Amino acid sequence: MELSQLLQNVLNGLAIGSVYAIFALGYTLVFSILGIINFAHGAVFTLGAYFTYTLVVGQFENNGILKGINLFPNGSPFSGNPWLFALATLIGAAVAGLVAVLIERLAFRPMRSRGADPLLALVSSLGVALVVVNLIQLLVGAEIYNFPSDAYGQVQPALSFHIGDRVVIVRTVQIIIFAVSLVMLAILGYVIGRTKIGKALRAVAENPGTASLLGISVDRFILITFFLSGFLGGLAGTLVGTAFGVAGPYFGVTYGLKGLAVIVLGGLGSIPGAVVGGLVIGLAEAFVPAQYSAYKDAVAFALLFVILLVRPQGLLGRAQIQKV
Amino acid sequence: MKRVALTVMLGLLASAHAQKVQVPVPIGVALAQTSNTALLGQEQVIGAKLAEKHINAHGGINGTPIKLVFQDAAGDENSAINAFQNLITKANVVAIVGPTLSQQAFAADPIAERAKVPVVGPSNTAKGIPQIGDYIARVSAPVAVVAPNAIKQALKIDPKIKKVAVLYAQNDAFSTSETGTFQDAAKAQGLNVATVQKFQTTDTDFTTQVTAVLNSGADLVIISGLAADGGNLVKQLRQLGYKGLIVGGNGLNTSNIFPVCQQYCDGVIIAQAYSPAQPSAANQLFVKEYRAQYKKDPPQFAAQAYAGVQVVADALRALDHQKKLSQWNLDDLRTALNKQILAGKYNTPLGEVRFDKEGEVLQKDFYVAQIKMQDAKNGSFVYLK
Repeated sequence: MELSQLLQNVLNGLAIGSVYAIFALGYTLVFSILGIINFAHGAVFTLGAYFTYTLVVGQFENNGILKGINLFPNGSPFSGNPWLFALATLIGAAVAGLVAVLIERLAFRPMRSRGADPLLALVSSLGVALVVVNLIQLLVGAEIYNFPSDAYGQVQPALSFHIGDRVVIVRTVQIIIFAVSLVMLAILGYVIGRTKIGKALRAVAENPGTASLLGISVDRFILITFFLSGFLGGLAGTLVGTAFGVAGPYFGVTYGLKGLAVIVLGGLGSIPGAVVGGLVIGLAEAFVPAQYSAYKDAVAFALLFVILLVRPQGLLGRAQIQKV
Repeated sequence: MKRVALTVMLGLLASAHAQKVQVPVPIGVALAQTSNTALLGQEQVIGAKLAEKHINAHGGINGTPIKLVFQDAAGDENSAINAFQNLITKANVVAIVGPTLSQQAFAADPIAERAKVPVVGPSNTAKGIPQIGDYIARVSAPVAVVAPNAIKQALKIDPKIKKVAVLYAQNDAFSTSETGTFQDAAKAQGLNVATVQKFQTTDTDFTTQVTAVLNSGADLVIISGLAADGGNLVKQLRQLGYKGLIVGGNGLNTSNIFPVCQQYCDGVIIAQAYSPAQPSAANQLFVKEYRAQYKKDPPQFAAQAYAGVQVVADALRALDHQKKLSQWNLDDLRTALNKQILAGKYNTPLGEVRFDKEGEVLQKDFYVAQIKMQDAKNGSFVYLK
């Protein structure tokens, strides 16, 4: 492989891998606290993209109950400037976080308070996911909605540089995705590792019973966890939406499955594992030769299968030690 | 004596079961109203409803109104089978327009075939659909005829084209058959196919394919895919610096791609089985009604679903002249309707269509158009002579 091709693949892989990473972080946070997979996470990802789209464009022309609505007849105040677009993205992600909190109250807490089997919570989150997806379609139809190409101002669509006589090209939006993901990961790392909230979260994850005895309100921290998880999911949704379009209500399903592969690969419940897993799968996909790129999704899961054979606990997971 | 009694009993039973046709006359519509196929299905539903409204506003079937019975066929085979079964046994429809996808047609059409209920496929373009059975027809032409025209048009615009890059969605039966036609047509025009790239209709990131296209030095790109992936591919080709002509297959023939590739859609050449510019009175009326409601030109999927309902209604009208529809037994009408559908000639928004004895559509007109964008969101297909 030529150097230019190698570099091109690495850049492509890092951009998409970083989205997988922040998406999977949301999964991991919930798993590390409750020990369950929240299948509604893909739906929250989709919602994040739709919320931001509502703020930046606010028009759903063709189908659904909101057909013909136009929130900003004179143009959205959030459009055409990178900082305002960023603000809309954060608001969209925060609202997605609130939806995740609502999902916790409706789908997880009642199960938990009755001491139901964790598997039931998983099934109930799957139900919530389906309801949310169908609700989106009912409201705005199955269309693909796209952010206007000047939504974040007049930026170059792509940057290119030459290596010998070959060109390496990166879409600007890919650079933005990568940068935003890095910043978010750094913030999250700081919050979990260095703040009181993070300490409490880790205590709840370690042992909810003991944490509660120490005066930590477990329910409140579970809500905080869901908010953070939904925020990250919603943010990932907007990032993907700006790069490729908000591809309909089912847009989060593929990412939901991919995120699952990422957290298992990285190690269930491991935050650095989610990041490493996301980047590994992103890079592995980018190195699939162009003529076979339709098999990208299979590559993610094949890689998962191989790594689990060698390391059942995932790349950075801790092996289960059972005392007998 | 016993035998006579038995015959009489059986006769009585049979006549008790012989159902009359209901009024308004129920026509089944099994299309994707949910799942990710709904993007196409909802356009089809709009087309079918417009046809129903138009037919009933003009006196229905010689005074008898029709009623479309909708069943969601979603995007998978099982939902399509369920929808067909409900329409046949519960709603007692005289015919079915649907399903949305070819894969679904292969699973659900045999159900209608066994029950002897005529089916008109509005968008099933894969090879072998009319051959599923005697009761299966389609108004959606396989566009093997169209591809060469689109490439000729591209060469007319830029005679210096030498190298072609071909991209297609390999998980879509229609796109894989269309790309074969495109590649043969390109070779027949003396062009060199420099690279063939595959993708999935669910893909969103095409950086890998686009990089390969750019490195191949192609001066024409041909895409066989659907609206979302095709539009995204056009956008990423342009954003990453491809400057040559782009030809899109029939799957890109919908105004749904305008919001996807926005200003980057400009100049894309499209092979079409339907054009809003088609001058027939039937089409111009349909375009007017569609525009009045949706403020844009109708896409092919809406036009084909409209044509599907219209074919059934026109055939019913011919049968009603023989004997009032309400006096027919349902089973007899279904059988007669199937024969009549294949025998008739129809002036639809697609232009004049007929069927061969297998139920394959014989369509007179095919089109090549070029996309012209007025602004980031609104565009039109400009018909190329």
